[in-house]
Amino acid sequence: MGYKTDWFKGIFPALVTPFDGRDRLDEATYRRLIRRLLPDVDGVVPAGTTGEFSYMTAEERMRVIEIAVEEANGRVPVVAGTGASSTQETVRLTEMAKSAGATAALVVAPYYLKPTYNEVYDHFRAVDKVGFPIVLYNLPQCTGTHFRWWTAEGMLLDLEHVIGIKDTSGDLPFMAALFEKVRGKVGIFVGHDEVALAAFASGADGAILASANLIPDVWQRIYRAVQSGDLEAARQDQQRIQRLVRIVTQTAGPQAVKEGLTAMGLPMGNARHPIMPGGGFKREDYEELRLQLEASGIEKIVKRPVTYDLGGKRIVTEVFATPQTPEVIGEWEIKVGEGFAGPPFHELAHVDLLIGRADGPVGRAIERSTANWGAERGIKLINERPRLLLVPTVTLRSAKSKRLFYEEAARGVNLAVQHSIEDGFLPDTVLDEIVLIANVFVHPAASIATRIFGNNYKATRHAIRKAIEGRPTVDELIQEKAAARHPFRYAP
Amino acid sequence: MPIKVPWTKGVYPALVTPFLRETEVLDEAAFRRLIRHCLPHVNGVVTSGTTGECSYLTRGEQRRLLEIALEECNGKPVIAGCGASGTAEAIALAKDAKAAGATAILVVTPYFLHPSDKGVYQHFYDIATSVDIPLVLYNIPQVVDRYLSREVVEDLADLPTVVGLKDSSGNLTYTMELLEYVGDRIDILVGHDEVVLPALAGGVSGMILASAQVYPEVWQAVLQFVAEGNLAAARKAQREVQKLSRIFCRYGGGVAVKAALAMMGLDMGVPRRPLKAVGGALLHETRAEIELELERIGKVETPEIEFSYPEGNLAERFGALEITAAMISEHRLKIGSGTAGEGLNRVQIDLIAGGKGTPLGDSYALQLTYPQHGREALTTILEPALTVCPPTLTLPTLDQRNLRQANMIYGPMQLAVARAVADALEDGTIGREATQQEVMIALVTVHPKVVDRHALALAGQEAARGAVRQAFAHARASG
Repeated sequence: MGYKTDWFKGIFPALVTPFDGRDRLDEATYRRLIRRLLPDVDGVVPAGTTGEFSYMTAEERMRVIEIAVEEANGRVPVVAGTGASSTQETVRLTEMAKSAGATAALVVAPYYLKPTYNEVYDHFRAVDKVGFPIVLYNLPQCTGTHFRWWTAEGMLLDLEHVIGIKDTSGDLPFMAALFEKVRGKVGIFVGHDEVALAAFASGADGAILASANLIPDVWQRIYRAVQSGDLEAARQDQQRIQRLVRIVTQTAGPQAVKEGLTAMGLPMGNARHPIMPGGGFKREDYEELRLQLEASGIEKIVKRPVTYDLGGKRIVTEVFATPQTPEVIGEWEIKVGEGFAGPPFHELAHVDLLIGRADGPVGRAIERSTANWGAERGIKLINERPRLLLVPTVTLRSAKSKRLFYEEAARGVNLAVQHSIEDGFLPDTVLDEIVLIANVFVHPAASIATRIFGNNYKATRHAIRKAIEGRPTVDELIQEKAAARHPFRYAP
Repeated sequence: MPIKVPWTKGVYPALVTPFLRETEVLDEAAFRRLIRHCLPHVNGVVTSGTTGECSYLTRGEQRRLLEIALEECNGKPVIAGCGASGTAEAIALAKDAKAAGATAILVVTPYFLHPSDKGVYQHFYDIATSVDIPLVLYNIPQVVDRYLSREVVEDLADLPTVVGLKDSSGNLTYTMELLEYVGDRIDILVGHDEVVLPALAGGVSGMILASAQVYPEVWQAVLQFVAEGNLAAARKAQREVQKLSRIFCRYGGGVAVKAALAMMGLDMGVPRRPLKAVGGALLHETRAEIELELERIGKVETPEIEFSYPEGNLAERFGALEITAAMISEHRLKIGSGTAGEGLNRVQIDLIAGGKGTPLGDSYALQLTYPQHGREALTTILEPALTVCPPTLTLPTLDQRNLRQANMIYGPMQLAVARAVADALEDGTIGREATQQEVMIALVTVHPKVVDRHALALAGQEAARGAVRQAFAHARASG
């Protein structure tokens, strides 16, 4: 018979595991991460899915559990990830977590060979015999098997040491069945960041979340607001972070969290291969995550001064800089930035952006284009300060294409410029000296006006920052050149 | 007792239904033209099937299509598509088909409301017992969202009017299971153009295909070769049309078939809405690919294109960028050229690099306002959002007349140049200081008729490497 414990409630981050440049466990950084999180969390989860447990050796898994136990030092519980594909390995890891001093084990459903429900049941029965509190973990996105409610109910009620379940499926009808069957008898945790509020409101005892590495304080606000019955406050906060958590859950979670923490000033390195930078967590996702971390009410990245050196003129501007942002930004002849945003396919935005001095190559190109072939080819100045030339990448043939380009895409580009002025990347004091060329692609079969606007807004916002910060870097190019996937390289 | 009929051993096109532009009205004359085009090469035809947009047709239109086909076919079998979501409508369509004189009816698994297997069985049972006409069952999970279960087929095959099953799933494990269970009682027809050969080799009798109105003679050959046991010849024939078959099956269906027929001079008008003639399931890029493939297999005449690879003094080949030999020498611009690949896959890349403050900087910025129409420059990327540095433009030297041609530049060539630049950064050919201070432009020439993206990409990479090496080695030697 499972049972409910007092401590199993609240917000638990599924800790990422930092690796250094040689792919070794970076213990010092891991400790820093835990110390930073402790004030805002009710427990920690080392070696979970976000912690890349499946890419770690048993020794490494034990080491991160030991460190988490040391750092928590009895102040908060440590729920250690001990899942594995086979029963034997899972039992062994659970025994090790027990001797390492963890509070409980988080045991994911056995994966890869897709055992049947009764094989899953007997797997957990074997783990239960370790005599250590265990949390069942439903994660069909990775395991390929989804606990049905009857299996979950059976394990939760029949097994002696089960203290609860973490459901990361995001399948609310499944969770609703769990509440009906076992609420109050065991702890029910949600693991899917996008539906956490819905789960809290339905009676979930807490959450183990990837994004709680980034925004534990916001999650505490949401959790406490629901506990105190203030659903409206919780909704406002959940909506504020919805885009951020969607990026984390729907891209490669560990890489997203690591790049987010790095941008926040806590360098975390990359996830282990085969997770790649610019892979599941795409470069445009990084730009969006960064913007979200700056947003009001989240404020994890704050402005700092950066010097713009325009030859004869030096100014200091306050921008939402990351550790990657150079202290001094020079070379204003031509700055090149590329932005890409989607989905959907036909409404993808692709912006080739040039920023440069008005009296340099970019300014002269604008003069010549507008004086000569500009009008004939639909090239238009769409902003005066800074001067911005909008160029269609492909010839606009239909009236619909023209409307989408000159109204929706242009509006997106201009708004991105406006917001870049507000956030300091295009400081007001240089707007008479710099000019921009935005070469913008709108697919001939594009339909959804709102997406054309939104995607071009995003792509331009990203392109401006990338141009000014000089990204991507040479190192990124060298690291990714072999594996790069150009979408138009292949035949249908 | 089930019956086997002789006519299933053949090639049947699942005819598209032509509609007039603007009005979407059934175009009977075009439909007759289509049948006359197919008839010499096929064993019969199928009207109002999936490719014929059956779910957008009224009962009257389906009857009319059948009447026309019967008039045109001179006694060759005409199989009438009689698919419907509900049983009553399917029976009504079957009765129409019987009254008109159809050879058989083709009845798709009932769709939309996902009936149980019990309901699916009853659907076919009711049709088979209401109308005395040979019935071909039809499995197409791509649109029905479910398989016609083998267990249900096992029982349906005992009904006296059920003579066959068309399997469009392309899933050979399912096809083989059917042959195992019902192959002795009914005939199986393959309905998935990509797996015709393996399905025939596995034991199916014939085929009902979308592409059998585009290249029926290829399918007759495959059928014949397999019957003779000449698998090598059958493979060769199937492989010739593999890409087009894939496009018809997966990237556009009947819409893609209509586009192909139009290129061959048979105007079938538009699909009915919500389908788009292009820009929906059939991408513009895919349509361009169809044309090229039709040219390759000789269904469409190849237009002659005159062009040449740039030659002569390298320093004088950048005139289109407004860069003269004198400027190259004055501003110490780096130039290099590389060529690789044979025949259609030959690639030439002329590359120029230099400081942002030189005339090349002006040229770089100017190119992004496309002064040369049809030769638009694009920023060189390894993949979207992964721009190379120094900033590099990839620019075709020939006018890009269509999307397909453009895709050979903006896909394989862009990547080839990007990889060469990244390689040069890694091995130090391009120094890190250059990435902030310089820009580059790669002028790319590929054959306008090139089709092999893989060969092209490899040649492009080699040519780009050569050009980069020459440009930067030269700079080092003279600097």
